[in-house]
Amino acid sequence: MALLALENVSVNYGGIQAVRGVNLEVNTGEVVTLIGANGAGKSTTLRAISRLLKLREGAIRFDGREITGTAPDAVVTLGIAHCPEGRQVLARQSVEDNLELGAYVRRDFAAIRDDIGKMYDLFPRLGERRNQSAGTLSGGEQQMLAIARALMSRPRLLLLDEPSLGLAPLIVLEIFSIIRNLNEQGTTILLVEQNARLAMQNSHRTYVIEAGQITFTGPSRELLEDERVMRAYLGD
Amino acid sequence: MTTAQFLQNLLNGISIGSVYAIFALGYTLVFSILGIINFAHGAVFTLGAYLTYAMAVGQFGINGLLSGLSIPVQLPFPVALLLGCILSGLVSVLIERLAFRPLRNRGGDALLALVSSLGVALVTVNAIQYFVGSEIYSFPPEIYGDIKPAITFSIGESVVVIRTVQVIIFGVCMAVLVSLGFLIARTRFGKALRAVAENPATASLLGISVNRFILYTFFLSGFLGGLAGSLVGTSFGVAGPYFGVTYGLQGIAVIVLGGLGSIPGSVLGGIIIGLIEAFVPPDYSAYKEAVSFALLFLILMVRPQGLLGQSQIQKV
Repeated sequence: MALLALENVSVNYGGIQAVRGVNLEVNTGEVVTLIGANGAGKSTTLRAISRLLKLREGAIRFDGREITGTAPDAVVTLGIAHCPEGRQVLARQSVEDNLELGAYVRRDFAAIRDDIGKMYDLFPRLGERRNQSAGTLSGGEQQMLAIARALMSRPRLLLLDEPSLGLAPLIVLEIFSIIRNLNEQGTTILLVEQNARLAMQNSHRTYVIEAGQITFTGPSRELLEDERVMRAYLGD
Repeated sequence: MTTAQFLQNLLNGISIGSVYAIFALGYTLVFSILGIINFAHGAVFTLGAYLTYAMAVGQFGINGLLSGLSIPVQLPFPVALLLGCILSGLVSVLIERLAFRPLRNRGGDALLALVSSLGVALVTVNAIQYFVGSEIYSFPPEIYGDIKPAITFSIGESVVVIRTVQVIIFGVCMAVLVSLGFLIARTRFGKALRAVAENPATASLLGISVNRFILYTFFLSGFLGGLAGSLVGTSFGVAGPYFGVTYGLQGIAVIVLGGLGSIPGSVLGGIIIGLIEAFVPPDYSAYKEAVSFALLFLILMVRPQGLLGQSQIQKV
């Protein structure tokens, strides 16, 4: 059984039907990527999963349990962490406080301290800047903080929205190597990306979304060879 | 002005200023979460004073539905005060549920919330008038226990008089300010509260229930309002159902002066407005509100964002 399943999901956003009849599954241990043009409905899909947006129709199941009517904060408790587009760190609070708040749903305070230490091992630059307010970090550092903060809830499913947006190429490669690492350590990931090639190279399966509808799906390796996908999204 | 007069005004100003500070913080907390000024806060101030009075003294006068009633069991003042503050907090929570949340859920404009809170203020004030009339209720001097009514000392020929009540009020306000500062700056609760204030959508993605934190905020705000009302009541008497209206306006002057949404700004603004009032010469004391608003206006000409406000109010 899939860890996450979207069944015929439609979502209205900004007065239009931004997502139409989407079926999508993520299995435990996978990295699944959702690619598509700007405004195709990628972020809307993620926002529907984390319940920031209401469904117009359809159902979302997580671990076999319907979460269609669940509140956003309760979804986090169930084990879904959403690392939103544009990073959205809490600029006025320190790096460390951002991480602590990432673990807001947990009560095992000693283990939270340990996990903060692990995040500093994983992202040494965050450790160096732990007492700085998050707003003073560079774009890449903020992205790392946003990912680390999402991991602090020890999610069973991590939703990553455009982690490479606005970052220098070297930082992008670094972020993707972290994503691979996280997955190897057992985190299941649903990734939304504009950088389609990189996202597909680093994922097991790919869904292509166009104008709110899924048009292609399959193993990322196969879609990377698919001429139609290549022409439309890989710029070849 | 002699040194003694100066010192007298300074002490009076700091004492009343500390009450303004905790009262204004009630506005600030709600403003920093919802971006609106809760006009019902002045009514909660009044209600808190009456609730504490009812539980500590419980003698009602000749007007209103409860006229001639005296409540047989009286609580020791500190207990009555604490309960009065808690009840004020709960009333404030009720105000959020009835007057603010329904509008917010329907995507109502901030202006509607303002009108709605004005409505709540009027209803509360009228209800108080209906039940207990509009006379002044004074706390008996012994509520703070068997203490000297005043401390006096002399500088040269002149005498400075500090009423013990003023010292107690100042002490209580400082204790509350320090605890609140600790709560907001250092605890997990405070960090979550600031996350909701900075970005509600992000806060909810971290598992923080935004609506629940809005309720906590209103509780804290009402608690502070009820506390300020009760303390002023013990000092000057609970002066009728409209007694919170003037304080409500002064409180708004305080938060605008300090910078909307700034917690240190509210404390600084409270002390400054308290001092301005205290230094208005006695012959003009009827105009002290006008004086503080005139001064507020002058300061805003130079610093439109208030003393400690951010240069522009921006919601990310």
